[in-house]
Amino acid sequence: MKILSLKNLSVSFGDKTVLSNVSFDIKTGEIAAIIGPNGSGKSTLFKAILGLVPFSGSIRISGHSIAEELHEVGYVPQYFDFDRTMPITVGELLSFTRRRTAHKESEEICKEVRVDLLVDKLIGTLSGGQLQRVLIAQALLKKPKLLLLDEPASGIDIEGAKAFYELIRHLNHEHNLTVLIISHEINTVYDFADQVICLNRNMVCFGPPHTTLDSATIEKLYGTKMTAHLH
Amino acid sequence: MLDILAYPFMQKALITGLFLGIVLSLIGVFVILRRMAFFSDGIAHASLSGAALGYLLNTNPLAVSIFFSAVFAVVIAQLEKRVKLSSDAVIGLIFTSGMAIGILLLSLGGGYRPELTTFLFGDILAIKWSEVFLIVGLGSMNIIFILWNYKRLALMVLNEDLAYVNGIKVDWLRNLLYVSIAVTVVMGMKVLGIILVSALLIIPIVSAKIIARSFHALMATSVTIGVITVLLGIMTSVRFDLPTGATIVLIGMGIFAILAIYSTLRQQLLSQGKG
Repeated sequence: MKILSLKNLSVSFGDKTVLSNVSFDIKTGEIAAIIGPNGSGKSTLFKAILGLVPFSGSIRISGHSIAEELHEVGYVPQYFDFDRTMPITVGELLSFTRRRTAHKESEEICKEVRVDLLVDKLIGTLSGGQLQRVLIAQALLKKPKLLLLDEPASGIDIEGAKAFYELIRHLNHEHNLTVLIISHEINTVYDFADQVICLNRNMVCFGPPHTTLDSATIEKLYGTKMTAHLH
Repeated sequence: MLDILAYPFMQKALITGLFLGIVLSLIGVFVILRRMAFFSDGIAHASLSGAALGYLLNTNPLAVSIFFSAVFAVVIAQLEKRVKLSSDAVIGLIFTSGMAIGILLLSLGGGYRPELTTFLFGDILAIKWSEVFLIVGLGSMNIIFILWNYKRLALMVLNEDLAYVNGIKVDWLRNLLYVSIAVTVVMGMKVLGIILVSALLIIPIVSAKIIARSFHALMATSVTIGVITVLLGIMTSVRFDLPTGATIVLIGMGIFAILAIYSTLRQQLLSQGKG
Protein backbone atom coordinates (compact mmCIF):
# COMPACT_ATOMS: atom_id res chain seq x y z
CA MET A 1 0.00 0.00 0.00
CA LYS A 2 1.29 3.45 -0.90
CA ILE A 3 2.03 5.61 2.12
CA LEU A 4 3.62 8.50 0.27
CA SER A 5 2.81 9.57 -3.26
CA LEU A 6 4.36 12.54 -5.05
CA LYS A 7 3.22 13.61 -8.51
CA ASN A 8 4.94 16.35 -10.51
CA LEU A 9 6.14 18.11 -7.40
CA SER A 10 7.86 21.40 -8.09
CA VAL A 11 9.11 24.04 -5.66
CA SER A 12 10.28 27.51 -6.59
CA PHE A 13 11.41 30.43 -4.49
CA GLY A 14 10.94 33.57 -6.52
CA ASP A 15 12.41 32.85 -9.94
CA LYS A 16 14.67 30.08 -8.64
CA THR A 17 13.46 26.51 -9.21
CA VAL A 18 14.63 24.25 -6.42
CA LEU A 19 12.69 21.11 -7.36
CA SER A 20 11.18 20.25 -10.71
CA ASN A 21 8.66 17.53 -11.55
CA VAL A 22 9.52 15.01 -8.89
CA SER A 23 7.29 11.94 -8.80
CA PHE A 24 7.60 8.74 -6.81
CA ASP A 25 5.62 6.39 -4.58
CA ILE A 26 6.79 4.81 -1.35
CA LYS A 27 5.08 1.70 0.01
CA THR A 28 4.33 1.10 3.69
CA GLY A 29 7.27 -0.47 5.49
CA GLU A 30 9.92 0.58 2.99
CA ILE A 31 13.13 2.41 3.75
CA ALA A 32 13.75 4.98 1.04
CA ALA A 33 16.91 7.02 0.82
CA ILE A 34 17.25 10.35 -0.93
CA ILE A 35 20.69 11.15 -2.28
CA GLY A 36 22.09 14.03 -4.28
CA PRO A 37 24.69 16.76 -4.23
CA ASN A 38 24.45 19.80 -1.99
CA GLY A 39 21.74 22.18 -3.14
CA SER A 40 19.86 19.49 -5.06
CA GLY A 41 16.62 20.10 -3.17
CA LYS A 42 16.69 17.17 -0.71
CA SER A 43 15.77 19.15 2.41
CA THR A 44 13.31 21.20 0.36
CA LEU A 45 11.62 17.95 -0.65
CA PHE A 46 11.14 17.16 3.04
CA LYS A 47 9.80 20.63 3.74
CA ALA A 48 7.30 20.24 0.90
CA ILE A 49 6.17 16.84 2.23
CA LEU A 50 5.66 18.41 5.64
CA GLY A 51 3.79 21.37 4.15
CA LEU A 52 6.41 23.87 5.29
CA VAL A 53 6.96 25.38 1.82
CA PRO A 54 4.50 26.10 -1.00
CA PHE A 55 4.64 23.70 -3.95
CA SER A 56 2.88 22.75 -7.12
CA GLY A 57 1.92 19.21 -7.95
CA SER A 58 0.49 16.69 -5.55
CA ILE A 59 1.65 15.14 -2.28
CA ARG A 60 -0.55 12.50 -0.66
CA ILE A 61 0.15 10.69 2.58
CA SER A 62 -1.88 7.48 2.88
CA GLY A 63 -4.10 8.93 0.18
CA HIS A 64 -4.88 12.07 2.15
CA SER A 65 -3.61 15.65 2.21
CA ILE A 66 -0.60 16.67 4.29
CA ALA A 67 -2.71 18.64 6.77
CA GLU A 68 -4.94 15.62 7.42
CA GLU A 69 -2.05 13.23 7.96
CA LEU A 70 0.65 15.39 9.58
CA HIS A 71 0.00 13.66 12.91
CA GLU A 72 1.17 10.41 11.29
CA VAL A 73 4.54 11.89 10.30
CA GLY A 74 7.57 11.98 12.54
CA TYR A 75 10.43 14.30 11.64
CA VAL A 76 14.05 14.64 12.69
CA PRO A 77 15.54 17.88 11.33
CA GLN A 78 19.06 18.19 9.98
CA TYR A 79 19.89 21.12 12.21
CA PHE A 80 18.82 21.39 15.78
CA ASP A 81 20.61 24.54 16.75
CA PHE A 82 20.05 25.72 20.30
CA ASP A 83 21.80 27.51 23.14
CA ARG A 84 23.69 24.66 24.77
CA THR A 85 23.95 26.56 28.02
CA MET A 86 20.17 26.51 28.52
CA PRO A 87 19.25 23.90 31.13
CA ILE A 88 16.72 21.67 29.38
CA THR A 89 16.73 17.99 30.24
CA VAL A 90 16.07 15.22 27.74
CA GLY A 91 12.91 14.33 29.66
CA GLU A 92 11.68 17.90 29.38
CA LEU A 93 12.40 18.08 25.64
CA LEU A 94 10.43 14.89 25.13
CA SER A 95 7.59 16.34 27.21
CA PHE A 96 7.44 19.40 24.93
CA THR A 97 6.44 17.22 21.96
CA ARG A 98 3.04 15.83 21.16
CA ARG A 99 2.54 12.29 22.36
CA ARG A 100 0.14 9.64 21.23
CA THR A 101 1.65 7.08 23.57
CA ALA A 102 0.72 6.23 27.12
CA HIS A 103 3.36 6.72 29.80
CA LYS A 104 4.46 3.07 29.83
CA GLU A 105 4.65 2.96 26.04
CA SER A 106 6.74 6.16 26.09
CA GLU A 107 9.15 4.49 28.51
CA GLU A 108 9.39 1.48 26.17
CA ILE A 109 10.18 3.73 23.22
CA CYS A 110 12.87 5.53 25.21
CA LYS A 111 14.39 2.14 26.15
CA GLU A 112 14.23 0.94 22.54
CA VAL A 113 16.01 4.02 21.27
CA ARG A 114 18.39 3.90 24.25
CA VAL A 115 17.60 7.31 25.64
CA ASP A 116 16.06 6.01 28.88
CA LEU A 117 19.33 6.55 30.73
CA LEU A 118 19.64 10.07 29.30
CA VAL A 119 16.32 11.40 30.60
CA ASP A 120 17.87 13.53 33.35
CA LYS A 121 20.81 14.72 31.27
CA LEU A 122 20.85 18.26 29.90
CA ILE A 123 20.47 18.32 26.10
CA GLY A 124 23.38 20.74 25.89
CA THR A 125 25.72 18.04 27.23
CA LEU A 126 24.71 15.34 24.74
CA SER A 127 27.00 14.07 22.02
CA GLY A 128 25.88 14.26 18.37
CA GLY A 129 24.78 10.65 18.37
CA GLN A 130 22.90 10.94 21.66
CA LEU A 131 21.06 14.03 20.47
CA GLN A 132 20.02 12.26 17.28
CA ARG A 133 18.61 9.36 19.33
CA VAL A 134 16.69 11.83 21.50
CA LEU A 135 15.26 13.50 18.39
CA ILE A 136 14.23 10.10 17.05
CA ALA A 137 12.55 9.32 20.37
CA GLN A 138 10.59 12.58 20.19
CA ALA A 139 9.47 11.68 16.66
CA LEU A 140 8.44 8.16 17.71
CA LEU A 141 6.34 9.39 20.64
CA LYS A 142 3.81 10.51 18.01
CA LYS A 143 3.46 6.88 16.88
CA PRO A 144 4.05 7.93 13.30
CA LYS A 145 3.54 5.76 10.24
CA LEU A 146 6.16 7.70 8.30
CA LEU A 147 9.48 8.90 9.68
CA LEU A 148 11.47 11.60 7.90
CA LEU A 149 15.17 11.82 8.79
CA ASP A 150 17.19 14.68 7.35
CA GLU A 151 20.89 13.70 7.22
CA PRO A 152 20.67 12.10 10.64
CA ALA A 153 24.23 10.77 10.63
CA SER A 154 25.97 14.05 9.83
CA GLY A 155 28.28 15.04 12.64
CA ILE A 156 28.36 11.50 14.06
CA ASP A 157 31.43 9.25 13.94
CA ILE A 158 31.52 6.01 11.93
CA GLU A 159 30.67 3.72 14.83
CA GLY A 160 27.86 6.03 15.93
CA ALA A 161 26.47 6.19 12.40
CA LYS A 162 26.56 2.38 12.11
CA ALA A 163 24.67 2.03 15.39
CA PHE A 164 22.24 4.65 14.24
CA TYR A 165 21.40 2.87 10.97
CA GLU A 166 21.00 -0.41 12.85
CA LEU A 167 18.48 1.32 15.12
CA ILE A 168 16.54 2.58 12.09
CA ARG A 169 16.52 -0.92 10.58
CA HIS A 170 15.27 -2.30 13.90
CA LEU A 171 12.46 0.27 14.09
CA ASN A 172 11.53 -0.46 10.49
CA HIS A 173 11.32 -4.21 11.11
CA GLU A 174 9.72 -4.11 14.55
CA HIS A 175 7.10 -1.43 13.90
CA ASN A 176 6.68 -1.62 10.11
CA LEU A 177 7.71 2.02 10.15
CA THR A 178 8.23 3.60 6.74
CA VAL A 179 11.42 5.62 6.74
CA LEU A 180 12.47 8.33 4.32
CA ILE A 181 16.05 9.33 4.93
CA ILE A 182 18.33 11.94 3.36
CA SER A 183 21.86 10.65 3.27
CA HIS A 184 25.21 11.39 1.67
CA GLU A 185 26.53 7.90 2.39
CA ILE A 186 26.00 6.00 -0.83
CA ASN A 187 27.57 2.82 0.54
CA THR A 188 25.11 2.83 3.46
CA VAL A 189 22.20 3.55 1.13
CA TYR A 190 23.24 0.62 -1.04
CA ASP A 191 23.03 -1.83 1.89
CA PHE A 192 20.28 -0.26 3.84
CA ALA A 193 17.58 1.17 1.62
CA ASP A 194 14.77 -0.60 -0.26
CA GLN A 195 14.41 2.34 -2.63
CA VAL A 196 16.71 5.17 -3.58
CA ILE A 197 15.63 8.54 -4.93
CA CYS A 198 18.34 10.48 -6.72
CA LEU A 199 17.73 14.19 -6.78
CA ASN A 200 19.46 17.01 -8.53
CA ARG A 201 16.57 19.46 -8.78
CA ASN A 202 14.94 16.89 -11.04
CA MET A 203 14.58 13.26 -10.27
CA VAL A 204 17.60 11.49 -11.72
CA CYS A 205 16.64 7.99 -10.59
CA PHE A 206 14.20 6.02 -8.49
CA GLY A 207 14.24 2.35 -7.63
CA PRO A 208 16.05 -0.36 -5.66
CA PRO A 209 19.68 0.73 -5.13
CA HIS A 210 21.20 -2.49 -6.51
CA THR A 211 19.56 -1.96 -9.89
CA THR A 212 19.43 1.83 -9.92
CA LEU A 213 22.77 3.03 -8.61
CA ASP A 214 25.22 2.41 -11.43
CA SER A 215 28.15 4.49 -12.64
CA ALA A 216 26.06 6.30 -15.25
CA THR A 217 23.47 7.34 -12.67
CA ILE A 218 26.13 8.48 -10.21
CA GLU A 219 27.83 10.52 -12.92
CA LYS A 220 24.52 12.07 -13.96
CA LEU A 221 23.79 12.88 -10.33
CA TYR A 222 27.12 14.22 -9.15
CA GLY A 223 28.58 15.28 -12.49
CA THR A 224 31.90 13.50 -11.98
CA LYS A 225 33.36 10.32 -13.33
CA MET A 226 32.78 7.81 -10.57
CA THR A 227 32.67 4.06 -10.52
CA ALA A 228 30.72 1.94 -8.10
CA HIS A 229 32.72 -0.91 -6.54
CA LEU A 230 30.83 -3.61 -4.71
CA HIS A 231 32.64 -4.87 -1.59
CA MET B 1 11.55 50.69 57.65
CA LEU B 2 8.36 48.61 57.82
CA ASP B 3 6.12 51.63 58.60
CA ILE B 4 6.77 52.81 55.08
CA LEU B 5 4.61 49.91 53.87
CA ALA B 6 1.57 51.75 55.17
CA TYR B 7 2.00 54.45 52.55
CA PRO B 8 -0.10 54.03 49.40
CA PHE B 9 2.82 54.95 47.10
CA MET B 10 4.85 52.09 48.57
CA GLN B 11 1.95 49.63 48.38
CA LYS B 12 1.37 50.52 44.73
CA ALA B 13 5.07 50.20 43.99
CA LEU B 14 5.42 46.82 45.69
CA ILE B 15 2.27 45.32 44.11
CA THR B 16 3.43 46.49 40.67
CA GLY B 17 6.99 45.37 41.37
CA LEU B 18 5.81 41.89 42.42
CA PHE B 19 3.81 41.37 39.21
CA LEU B 20 6.51 42.83 36.99
CA GLY B 21 9.20 40.75 38.70
CA ILE B 22 7.20 37.59 37.92
CA VAL B 23 6.17 38.39 34.36
CA LEU B 24 9.47 39.93 33.21
CA SER B 25 11.37 36.90 34.48
CA LEU B 26 8.97 34.38 32.91
CA ILE B 27 9.04 36.16 29.57
CA GLY B 28 12.78 36.67 29.92
CA VAL B 29 13.34 32.90 29.84
CA PHE B 30 12.01 32.84 26.27
CA VAL B 31 13.76 36.07 25.33
CA ILE B 32 17.08 34.49 26.30
CA LEU B 33 16.22 31.08 24.77
CA ARG B 34 15.30 32.74 21.48
CA ARG B 35 18.13 35.30 21.73
CA MET B 36 15.74 38.24 21.51
CA ALA B 37 17.42 40.71 23.84
CA PHE B 38 17.79 43.20 20.98
CA PHE B 39 14.09 42.82 20.14
CA SER B 40 13.18 43.79 23.70
CA ASP B 41 15.49 46.78 23.63
CA GLY B 42 14.14 47.81 20.24
CA ILE B 43 10.52 47.63 21.38
CA ALA B 44 11.33 49.63 24.51
CA HIS B 45 12.85 52.43 22.44
CA ALA B 46 10.19 52.33 19.72
CA SER B 47 7.41 52.63 22.29
CA LEU B 48 8.53 56.20 22.94
CA SER B 49 6.25 57.03 20.00
CA GLY B 50 3.28 55.66 21.95
CA ALA B 51 4.21 57.53 25.10
CA ALA B 52 4.67 60.78 23.18
CA LEU B 53 1.30 60.37 21.45
CA GLY B 54 -0.32 59.62 24.79
CA TYR B 55 1.04 62.84 26.29
CA LEU B 56 0.12 64.82 23.18
CA LEU B 57 -3.48 63.59 23.30
CA ASN B 58 -3.65 63.98 27.08
CA THR B 59 -4.62 60.36 27.48
CA ASN B 60 -2.98 57.42 29.29
CA PRO B 61 0.57 57.28 27.81
CA LEU B 62 1.22 53.81 29.27
CA ALA B 63 -1.85 52.35 27.57
CA VAL B 64 -1.00 54.00 24.24
CA SER B 65 2.60 52.75 24.54
CA ILE B 66 1.39 49.23 25.17
CA PHE B 67 -0.83 49.38 22.09
CA PHE B 68 1.99 50.75 19.92
CA SER B 69 4.41 48.12 21.20
CA ALA B 70 1.97 45.33 20.31
CA VAL B 71 1.62 46.74 16.79
CA PHE B 72 5.40 47.06 16.39
CA ALA B 73 5.82 43.48 17.62
CA VAL B 74 3.45 42.12 14.98
CA VAL B 75 5.11 44.24 12.28
CA ILE B 76 8.54 42.88 13.26
CA ALA B 77 7.22 39.30 13.30
CA GLN B 78 5.71 39.67 9.83
CA LEU B 79 8.71 41.48 8.34
CA GLU B 80 11.08 38.80 9.66
CA LYS B 81 8.99 36.20 7.87
CA ARG B 82 8.37 37.96 4.58
CA VAL B 83 11.34 40.20 3.88
CA LYS B 84 14.89 39.17 2.99
CA LEU B 85 16.44 41.04 5.90
CA SER B 86 18.09 39.74 9.03
CA SER B 87 16.19 39.94 12.28
CA ASP B 88 18.63 42.57 13.60
CA ALA B 89 18.02 44.77 10.59
CA VAL B 90 14.23 44.55 10.91
CA ILE B 91 14.35 45.38 14.62
CA GLY B 92 16.79 48.19 13.92
CA LEU B 93 14.35 49.70 11.41
CA ILE B 94 11.45 49.63 13.85
CA PHE B 95 13.60 50.73 16.80
CA THR B 96 14.93 53.82 15.07
CA SER B 97 11.75 54.84 13.25
CA GLY B 98 9.67 54.38 16.42
CA MET B 99 12.04 56.61 18.38
CA ALA B 100 12.12 59.15 15.57
CA ILE B 101 8.30 59.30 15.53
CA GLY B 102 8.38 59.77 19.30
CA ILE B 103 10.88 62.61 19.11
CA LEU B 104 8.84 64.27 16.35
CA LEU B 105 5.62 64.03 18.36
CA LEU B 106 7.36 65.42 21.43
CA SER B 107 8.54 68.41 19.42
CA LEU B 108 4.92 69.04 18.35
CA GLY B 109 3.86 69.11 21.99
CA GLY B 110 6.27 71.94 22.72
CA GLY B 111 7.80 72.80 26.09
CA TYR B 112 9.49 70.53 28.59
CA ARG B 113 7.63 67.34 29.64
CA PRO B 114 9.11 66.20 32.94
CA GLU B 115 6.77 63.20 33.10
CA LEU B 116 8.56 61.88 30.00
CA THR B 117 11.65 61.23 32.11
CA THR B 118 9.60 58.54 33.87
CA PHE B 119 9.51 56.70 30.56
CA LEU B 120 13.22 57.13 29.99
CA PHE B 121 14.33 56.15 33.50
CA GLY B 122 11.21 54.68 35.16
CA ASP B 123 9.49 55.94 38.27
CA ILE B 124 7.56 53.19 39.97
CA LEU B 125 7.19 55.29 43.12
CA ALA B 126 4.96 57.73 41.20
CA ILE B 127 2.71 55.07 39.70
CA LYS B 128 -1.03 55.73 39.71
CA TRP B 129 -3.67 53.20 40.76
CA SER B 130 -5.01 53.12 37.19
CA GLU B 131 -1.58 52.08 35.99
CA VAL B 132 -1.28 49.49 38.76
CA PHE B 133 -4.57 47.89 37.67
CA LEU B 134 -3.47 47.96 34.02
CA ILE B 135 -0.15 46.30 34.86
CA VAL B 136 -1.73 43.72 37.21
CA GLY B 137 -4.40 42.91 34.61
CA LEU B 138 -2.10 42.62 31.60
CA GLY B 139 0.62 41.04 33.71
CA SER B 140 -1.76 38.34 34.91
CA MET B 141 -2.85 37.62 31.33
CA ASN B 142 0.78 37.29 30.28
CA ILE B 143 1.58 35.01 33.20
CA ILE B 144 -1.38 32.76 32.32
CA PHE B 145 -0.36 32.77 28.64
CA ILE B 146 3.19 31.70 29.49
CA LEU B 147 2.25 29.05 32.05
CA TRP B 148 -0.43 27.57 29.76
CA ASN B 149 1.83 27.48 26.70
CA TYR B 150 5.38 27.16 27.99
CA LYS B 151 5.95 23.71 26.49
CA ARG B 152 4.70 24.80 23.06
CA LEU B 153 6.69 28.03 23.31
CA ALA B 154 9.85 26.19 24.30
CA LEU B 155 9.56 23.75 21.39
CA MET B 156 8.77 26.56 18.93
CA VAL B 157 11.76 28.57 20.12
CA LEU B 158 14.05 25.52 19.90
CA ASN B 159 12.96 24.52 16.38
CA GLU B 160 9.99 25.95 14.51
CA ASP B 161 9.81 23.08 12.00
CA LEU B 162 9.61 20.51 14.80
CA ALA B 163 6.96 22.60 16.52
CA TYR B 164 4.91 22.74 13.33
CA VAL B 165 5.14 18.98 12.82
CA ASN B 166 3.96 18.56 16.41
CA GLY B 167 0.75 20.40 15.60
CA ILE B 168 1.69 23.81 16.98
CA LYS B 169 0.32 26.81 15.06
CA VAL B 170 3.72 28.42 14.82
CA ASP B 171 2.75 31.70 13.12
CA TRP B 172 0.05 32.42 15.70
CA LEU B 173 2.21 31.46 18.64
CA ARG B 174 5.16 33.47 17.38
CA ASN B 175 2.99 36.57 17.00
CA LEU B 176 1.52 36.05 20.47
CA LEU B 177 4.98 35.61 21.98
CA TYR B 178 6.25 38.77 20.34
CA VAL B 179 3.21 40.75 21.50
CA SER B 180 3.55 39.30 25.00
CA ILE B 181 7.22 40.32 25.15
CA ALA B 182 6.44 43.78 23.81
CA VAL B 183 3.60 44.42 26.26
CA THR B 184 5.71 43.12 29.16
CA VAL B 185 8.64 45.32 28.16
CA VAL B 186 6.48 48.44 28.07
CA MET B 187 4.99 47.62 31.47
CA GLY B 188 8.50 47.08 32.77
CA MET B 189 9.47 50.55 31.56
CA LYS B 190 7.37 51.94 34.40
CA VAL B 191 9.95 50.51 36.81
CA LEU B 192 13.19 50.77 34.89
CA GLY B 193 12.52 53.04 31.94
CA ILE B 194 13.39 52.57 28.30
CA ILE B 195 17.10 52.65 29.07
CA LEU B 196 17.24 49.81 31.61
CA VAL B 197 14.15 47.63 31.14
CA SER B 198 16.03 44.94 29.22
CA ALA B 199 18.04 44.31 32.37
CA LEU B 200 15.09 42.63 34.08
CA LEU B 201 14.57 40.36 31.09
CA ILE B 202 18.17 39.26 31.17
CA ILE B 203 19.72 39.40 34.64
CA PRO B 204 17.34 37.09 36.58
CA ILE B 205 17.52 34.44 33.85
CA VAL B 206 21.28 34.61 33.43
CA SER B 207 21.60 34.32 37.21
CA ALA B 208 19.17 31.40 37.36
CA LYS B 209 21.08 29.58 34.60
CA ILE B 210 24.04 29.34 36.95
CA ILE B 211 22.19 27.11 39.38
CA ALA B 212 19.18 25.66 37.53
CA ARG B 213 19.46 22.04 36.35
CA SER B 214 16.23 21.87 34.36
CA PHE B 215 13.89 24.12 32.40
CA HIS B 216 11.28 24.04 35.13
CA ALA B 217 13.91 24.98 37.70
CA LEU B 218 15.10 27.76 35.39
CA MET B 219 11.60 29.26 35.21
CA ALA B 220 11.02 28.99 38.97
CA THR B 221 14.47 30.30 39.90
CA SER B 222 14.27 33.18 37.41
CA VAL B 223 10.95 34.29 38.88
CA THR B 224 12.29 34.03 42.44
CA ILE B 225 15.38 36.06 41.58
CA GLY B 226 13.33 38.56 39.56
CA VAL B 227 10.87 39.19 42.38
CA ILE B 228 13.61 39.47 45.02
CA THR B 229 15.56 41.85 42.77
CA VAL B 230 12.62 44.16 42.15
CA LEU B 231 11.22 44.22 45.69
CA LEU B 232 14.64 44.57 47.32
CA GLY B 233 15.53 47.23 44.77
CA ILE B 234 12.41 49.26 45.50
CA MET B 235 12.86 49.08 49.28
CA THR B 236 16.57 49.90 49.06
CA SER B 237 15.97 52.87 46.78
CA VAL B 238 13.32 54.28 49.19
CA ARG B 239 15.49 53.67 52.27
CA PHE B 240 18.54 55.38 50.81
CA ASP B 241 16.79 57.85 48.47
CA LEU B 242 18.36 56.40 45.32
CA PRO B 243 17.01 56.16 41.74
CA THR B 244 14.79 53.06 41.80
CA GLY B 245 15.53 51.67 38.33
CA ALA B 246 19.30 51.83 38.69
CA THR B 247 19.13 50.37 42.22
CA ILE B 248 17.11 47.39 40.98
CA VAL B 249 19.60 46.70 38.19
CA LEU B 250 22.59 46.91 40.51
CA ILE B 251 20.96 44.60 43.06
CA GLY B 252 20.28 42.19 40.22
CA MET B 253 23.93 42.35 39.21
CA GLY B 254 24.92 41.79 42.83
CA ILE B 255 22.80 38.61 42.98
CA PHE B 256 24.37 37.44 39.71
CA ALA B 257 27.87 38.09 41.08
CA ILE B 258 27.14 36.16 44.29
CA LEU B 259 25.78 33.17 42.36
CA ALA B 260 28.67 33.24 39.89
CA ILE B 261 31.25 33.30 42.70
CA TYR B 262 29.38 30.55 44.58
CA SER B 263 29.27 28.37 41.48
CA THR B 264 32.97 28.87 40.73
CA LEU B 265 33.99 28.08 44.31
CA ARG B 266 31.74 25.03 44.38
CA GLN B 267 33.26 23.68 41.17
CA GLN B 268 36.75 24.24 42.51
CA LEU B 269 35.91 22.44 45.76
CA LEU B 270 34.34 19.56 43.87
CA SER B 271 37.33 19.17 41.55
CA GLN B 272 39.72 19.34 44.51
CA GLY B 273 37.66 16.69 46.25
CA LYS B 274 37.96 14.41 43.19
CA GLY B 275 41.70 15.09 42.85
